[in-house]
Amino acid sequence: MKVEMKVNYYPGDTGEFIKVIEDKCTGCGQCAKFCTREVWESDGAIYRPVNLKKCVECGACWNVCEFDAVIFSEPKGGTGVSFDYG
Amino acid sequence: MSINEYDVIVVGAGCAGPAAAKKAAELGLKTLILEKSQIPGHKNISGTCLNGAALIDPDLHYLLEGPVEREIREMRTHHVNKDRTTIFHEIPSEGILLLSVRRDHFDAWHTEQAKLAGAEVKLSTSVVDIIEEDGYVKGVITDSGEKFYSKVVIDAGGVNSIVGRKAGLIPKRSGTSMILYVTVCVKLGEEVVSERFGDCIEYYLSPGIQYKTWPWIFPKKDTVTVGTGGYMDENLLNDEFPNVNKYMENFLNLPIVKKKLEGGEIVAWGLHLEYDEAIEKRVKNGLILTGEAGGFVIPFLGEGMVEAFFTGIYAAQSAAKAIEAGNLTEDKLSETYEELRGENLFMQSFRYIAEVNKETILSKTDDELTRLMQTVIIGGGFISNAIHAKWMKGVEEEDFGLVQEAYDFLELIQPYMQVDRDFEDLYNERRRK
Repeated sequence: MKVEMKVNYYPGDTGEFIKVIEDKCTGCGQCAKFCTREVWESDGAIYRPVNLKKCVECGACWNVCEFDAVIFSEPKGGTGVSFDYG
Repeated sequence: MSINEYDVIVVGAGCAGPAAAKKAAELGLKTLILEKSQIPGHKNISGTCLNGAALIDPDLHYLLEGPVEREIREMRTHHVNKDRTTIFHEIPSEGILLLSVRRDHFDAWHTEQAKLAGAEVKLSTSVVDIIEEDGYVKGVITDSGEKFYSKVVIDAGGVNSIVGRKAGLIPKRSGTSMILYVTVCVKLGEEVVSERFGDCIEYYLSPGIQYKTWPWIFPKKDTVTVGTGGYMDENLLNDEFPNVNKYMENFLNLPIVKKKLEGGEIVAWGLHLEYDEAIEKRVKNGLILTGEAGGFVIPFLGEGMVEAFFTGIYAAQSAAKAIEAGNLTEDKLSETYEELRGENLFMQSFRYIAEVNKETILSKTDDELTRLMQTVIIGGGFISNAIHAKWMKGVEEEDFGLVQEAYDFLELIQPYMQVDRDFEDLYNERRRK
């Protein structure tokens, strides 16, 4: 059996609920390494959360960032990931 | 009180939130619960088995009327290596051990109970900040910029709680104290689930399917939820395991598991983060942290939901007392909160079991662990290992204080060794309602 990442999302714009603080980001890439959904991508010397639409809001990225460069807030009410069978 | 003013604001409608809001409303407090999803439970991923040993507590009896997927009476633990598979089959009780639930159903029902008790519920509302004035938390700000004021804020915002972080109570974590779980839900149909799993939960240990955690399969009505993952230290991910899905893939493809899931279809996938670390302070002037936001989770034993129910209820009771006394200080709120938790036998004993076992297991290499796991059976075995480990250490080091502690603990958990039959009766009585 293959692991299919079946995920549902509510319609609507989540807003930029994850951000990188450019001055603090060292480009170590831990955020991207621990992101199972490939939300983070390298952009020159730093990383950016470019694929927010794929995010399942687990919080791994801000937790692993040793440099406090990740702002992890909430998607707008009623938007973002929606788990069935949680 | 004006329209946006409340006695208590509860942030989050997972496990702790509705429990807190229901209790607060029952105590006559003007209560508001704010939840970011459209339907409570839609943002939650968990093991979804409620522990009967906790539900026997009168505070939680009402939960037995909620939507239950399956009654769990047995456990099987599989140790799989390339040479052989060892299966420990435990039927540790004469009745129901656990109740398996679906969070999207259960949390929604639970929130409805809070509403029926008189709490106001606002869904699709994300809390993004707190209001702090004169050293007190006075309310919260939502994503639309709206402000809600209260005498006490109860944070039930889960593992990544914004409130707890903004209030400075949730410290920065490190990888060694975090566990990343991946879950998949496999649809098999009710008959097939009953035939292959019945009322039995399963645990597995095998090379390449977990990293210092316990992979599991929990049956629900017509699906099973499969979970695995690991501590987020430098060894979790590497070339062989680029992400946690690889552990899951290996798990699903163990021959014994593959056979059990044959013909099934993955209908949902999710991720969940847990902190395996206590939070030093759970209370601030005007604020109480509950459930996972307050670090009330024991990832090692897969225990979190019932701790959330308890702490939610206790937080509401603490808020009521503080409001009645006109004293919303940290000291006043903590007084009741700590007292109620201290009296909870379930929380005390499970923390003890986790502490002793974690010390035994996390200090061992994988080889040593595999050997140990031949004798320690998950579930009842954890309890006996907790007693045995402390007892033997006491004997070896001639420290009779430790032996006494082990003995005291054995006495302490006696009521739980016989609860199953009572729980079954209680459950049936509540279901008839």
